[in-house]
Amino acid sequence: MRLIPLVIFCTLTLPAFSQKESPFTKFGKISASTFATKVYAIDSGANAIVLSDIGSASLEGNSKGWFSLVTRKHKVVHILNKNGYDEANVEIHLYTNGSDEEKLDKVKAVTYNLENGKVVETSMEKSAVFKEKINKNRLVKKFTMPNVKEGSIIEYDYQVTSDFIGNLDPWLFQSTSSPTLWSEFVFSVPEFFSYNFLSRGFHGIDINERKDRTASFTVRQTQTASSTESFNFNAGVTDFRWVMKDVPELKTESFTSSIMNHISRMEFQLASKQYPLEVQNFRTSWTELTKGLLQNESFGSILNNSNNWLSDDIKPVYASVNSGEEKARRLYNYVRDNFSCTGKSGYIYMDQSLKNVLKTKKGTVAEINLLLTTMLRYSGLDATPVILSTTKHGYAIEYSPMTSSFDYVIVQLKDNGKVFYLDASDNLLGFNRLPLDCYNGHARVVNETADALVFSPDSLTESKTTLLIINNDENGKWKGRMSQTPGYYGSYDIREKVKDKGKEEFFKEVEKAFGLDIKILSPSIDSLKNYETPVALHYDVEFLTNGESTIYVNPMFGEGYKKNLFTAAERYYPVEMPYTMDETFVLSMEVPKGYEVDELPKQMIAKVDEEGSGLFEYRISNSQGRISFRCRIKFNRSLYLPEEYPNLREFFNMVVSKQSEQIVLKKKI
Amino acid sequence: MRILIVWSLLFCVTALKAADPKYPVSAIPEILKKDADVVKRMEEISFQIISTGETILHKKYALTILNENGDEYAGISEYYDKLITITSMEGTLYDASGKVLKRTKNKDISDLSAVNGNNLIDDSRMKSHHFYYREYPYTVEYEVEQKFSNTLFFPNWYPQEDEKYAVEQSSYTIICPADYSIRFRAFNYKGEPEVTMEKGKKKMRWNITSVPAIKLPFASPSWKEMTTVVYFAPSEFEIQGYKGNMSSWKDFGKFQASLNAGRDVLPANISETVNRLTAGVSDTREKIRILYNFLQKNTRYISIQLGIGGWQPFPATDVATKGYGDCKGLTNYMYSLLKAAGIKSNYTLVYAGSNKDVLIEDFPSNRFNHVILCVPLAKDSVWLECTSQTLPAGYMSDFTGNRKALMITEEGGVVVRTPQYGIKENTEIRAIKAKLDEDGNLNMSVKASYGGTEQDDVSSLINALSKEKVQKVLQKELELSTYDIQSFKYEETKEVLPKVDEQLEILVSKYATISGKRLFIMPNILNRGGVVLNDQKDRAFDYVYDNPFRQEDTYEIDLPEGYELESAPSEINLKSKFGTYTSSVKLVGHKITYKRVREHFAGRYAAKEGVALAEFFESVYRSDRSKMVFVKKTSNP
Repeated sequence: MRLIPLVIFCTLTLPAFSQKESPFTKFGKISASTFATKVYAIDSGANAIVLSDIGSASLEGNSKGWFSLVTRKHKVVHILNKNGYDEANVEIHLYTNGSDEEKLDKVKAVTYNLENGKVVETSMEKSAVFKEKINKNRLVKKFTMPNVKEGSIIEYDYQVTSDFIGNLDPWLFQSTSSPTLWSEFVFSVPEFFSYNFLSRGFHGIDINERKDRTASFTVRQTQTASSTESFNFNAGVTDFRWVMKDVPELKTESFTSSIMNHISRMEFQLASKQYPLEVQNFRTSWTELTKGLLQNESFGSILNNSNNWLSDDIKPVYASVNSGEEKARRLYNYVRDNFSCTGKSGYIYMDQSLKNVLKTKKGTVAEINLLLTTMLRYSGLDATPVILSTTKHGYAIEYSPMTSSFDYVIVQLKDNGKVFYLDASDNLLGFNRLPLDCYNGHARVVNETADALVFSPDSLTESKTTLLIINNDENGKWKGRMSQTPGYYGSYDIREKVKDKGKEEFFKEVEKAFGLDIKILSPSIDSLKNYETPVALHYDVEFLTNGESTIYVNPMFGEGYKKNLFTAAERYYPVEMPYTMDETFVLSMEVPKGYEVDELPKQMIAKVDEEGSGLFEYRISNSQGRISFRCRIKFNRSLYLPEEYPNLREFFNMVVSKQSEQIVLKKKI
Repeated sequence: MRILIVWSLLFCVTALKAADPKYPVSAIPEILKKDADVVKRMEEISFQIISTGETILHKKYALTILNENGDEYAGISEYYDKLITITSMEGTLYDASGKVLKRTKNKDISDLSAVNGNNLIDDSRMKSHHFYYREYPYTVEYEVEQKFSNTLFFPNWYPQEDEKYAVEQSSYTIICPADYSIRFRAFNYKGEPEVTMEKGKKKMRWNITSVPAIKLPFASPSWKEMTTVVYFAPSEFEIQGYKGNMSSWKDFGKFQASLNAGRDVLPANISETVNRLTAGVSDTREKIRILYNFLQKNTRYISIQLGIGGWQPFPATDVATKGYGDCKGLTNYMYSLLKAAGIKSNYTLVYAGSNKDVLIEDFPSNRFNHVILCVPLAKDSVWLECTSQTLPAGYMSDFTGNRKALMITEEGGVVVRTPQYGIKENTEIRAIKAKLDEDGNLNMSVKASYGGTEQDDVSSLINALSKEKVQKVLQKELELSTYDIQSFKYEETKEVLPKVDEQLEILVSKYATISGKRLFIMPNILNRGGVVLNDQKDRAFDYVYDNPFRQEDTYEIDLPEGYELESAPSEINLKSKFGTYTSSVKLVGHKITYKRVREHFAGRYAAKEGVALAEFFESVYRSDRSKMVFVKKTSNP
């Protein structure tokens, strides 16, 4: 079971009033004393300090007969050195779908420098805001602050008006580049809308309060060119306010599935609208969420159609096949081998119709797997889309039904009492295999009952076995035969390497890793194109020896770990390995002619902890001129807490050291 | 109605034509398939110079994609901006037999931003298309036409665009007014172009056929030495109302000078600051240092490239008030600061990066991507990289050093050479004092000193990262299994030849392997080099090394009591034209002294020397990783 970072629901928490305000609530409150601190207690090595970052969002009536979401951001940053200059470059991403849009205005930006004890202000010119049109839907507005030097304080403020009231970006209290002294978000929600709030990350909320007030709203709607209808009304508004103080910069560490699992933030989801608007509930339960998806044109509405447009393309694929599983396999292979994946879109919706995907033979992960679902159904099979969140996107929280928590779509297939999970978007993956980053906990089947699933890294075991047999041939030469079966994901990496560089290059690298004075002969790879199973490597090895009086041989022959996987001395958040593992190396070696064993490494068994979640075995013996050796590393779980880190690091240290030990052979006198 | 009929007739004709198989894969000669991911089946490039202000480029080519690795070439991406328009773009997809599978439609072509990641903003956009076909082999054919409203660049001809890329046929035709002088420089092209006159226009055509794929070898010479490349450049040219002539460096320099003219005026307060900062300083070098320091403190690099702004610097006033600029703006600003202090300097165009031989001295053309400043003094010059916040005045890192550049003077352009650093300057000297304990753990103090280009990496590491992040990098990068950086310290000497001194305290866990009664230890703790190169026998191209260096390592390791030596590597002393290498170990009492000196020479070596070269690098590799073995003395024999 994975740890789920702190989750708080804020809708019902009690107001905790506090007098405290950011010293920078108003624009321009920078004085000479603001510059006084050169090194901040929160982080003496920081490149820049966010003194204050205040955001707000409110709903206002617009002229399209509906409401707009107006968000403001006001940020003050003290730049301490040159490496903090990036804070002075600002990008604001805006979206439009043709009719609805996001608009930036009221940009104000000032740089303050202390010169001879006086604060000198430089305002940014309006013309310094640049526009980059990424494509027809996406636009980036950019600006850079003027006159930035070491020690400058920058301040900027802007407003974004959005027609997408259901898409309020999460507020990030924590930054991945600078510590933040004050981060605040105020969300003013009128009584006719309700939003769910979800707080995530490790840092606690210092101020959490709500205030009720009344506000007036005006909604205008253009009827004809000359007439506009206008509605005025008063309604209650609740201002929700959250403040975090002294939030350290979030630092990245290796073996972390996603920084998004750790960054302190508040997420929002539109839950319902009510009087005086027409009452409507938005996705408040899992079943309602999946029901919505099944009716959504950009997701599942096509699944229940007859979809005869598929007929010409796919009927030949499974013609004269009776078994359901075999049919599914044929269709899966067809989609995987003939469609190009243009990448992950970061959301579960389609950007184009499935007909278009079929025609152009390309699509996003969601499009390709929804097409596969449709094909499987068309052929009469029980296939259903599953939505999940990949490791990069962070955990999807079970208590909070939000489609934005998911970024990936796969297919669940039920046939003859068996359940399969398919992903046809990756052309090196096999039937019933998923990419590693899909193993990230909670997922949902998009059906009427919204069945919950869990894809856990603990359910995956990478098993690797290596067998090396070495004998003296008739000429007294030392020769060996190597057979290796890597785990499934290790095999995936090999398939990718062979695809990129070719078999020949791949084995050249294997030879290099094996060590000097060794030649690899007649190499082969089994199951290279059979994507459902791991590959198997076979090759002969020939040792080039010179008849030295003493030979030192590492019985791992280049297969051992050479570097501790855990380099950092300390660890602040859990170690998340992508799977559990079980690696066994077996050697059976005839002592070379004319030599005898002088010394063998000592046997040992070690555990990571008392529970034995990680195990290392090193057994070696010599009997009648033959050395038998077996080395195994096994991890039963994939998640380790920071306090377990020193053990884990020490364990690997011991593994590397033990695996570098040598057998000593001496020439018989 | 009549129109409709005509249209549909036309349609039939095209449809019929399309039915003829084109580019069947079976027609590709075997020799072109060897080592290839892609085969260019045909290419016709036609470049027409209408006037000095307008040109048209028409390209038609077909590529057969043999396998998945060729997919990256299968699409098309063409850039456009204020000075380039794409007038048409069409593509056709064929299967292996040459049957048409698909043709592009306008809506299939995407129109995307192409702002370079290094720029805050520029005006480049691109139109691109890809068929995303997956049944190999297949063939794509594209036809594209672009109009240029400037003549600063002429497209070059690279028939073979990359490694693993064979060419069946490719041609380039340039068409210009009869009196226009076309300038070109051909590499690996046999013979001369075919020249014809047509309707009062001059036409020149280059054509090649059957070029097998190349596998890019390591330490390779530049691309133009390995395959056919023809560079083109204008004589008279024009861009956004500015006119010039590129026939000589002198004239091209004059053009750049005209773009810069009048942009060196400083605001009054900055002129005053210059006077104040340099008052009482008599030494010119010191003045340069002071003003360069002022530049580094008060500006930062922000790149904005719009229209002519890609070639013309921002006025010095803009940089002064905004506090930022790109290489052109910052260099021109520094030029203006120096001018205000009465020091003459020269704006200098350069091609920065790892490719050092881009400028062809006797073929003037606009192939630059960066600007630096040269301050000529009586004996030598002081070079300034004005986009750097940290480099010392006078030092050119490996990014801009050791290459030819175009200096802009009052008389026009002059080709000069940026500073070159040799084996005496690029040094790495390291001493380690270490103690090994009974369990094989090694406690060591490292003192190292890096000079010249050998300090480039470490200097950017300590300048670009906070102390905490430097520690993280150190904790990860060393070639040791498990270790803790207990303390580290860096000191920079910012001089014309910069130096970084490093002090590290490291505890290496289980550095030595203790196995039964034996102890195995690699005396070379921190500087293992060399490389194992197989198969140098069939090498076709020269070896080129351009960054010489010298390394000197002296390590002292105290062993625990009670061990005696069983085996040790013998002393090695190599001298070759590729470099020199010596390493030796000495044991006195229980102290190991390891000495290693390695000199790596810059040079160019013929392909046939590959075996000797590989042998040298492999010897270094082996020697750097050799072990000493000790046996514990038994107390009761």
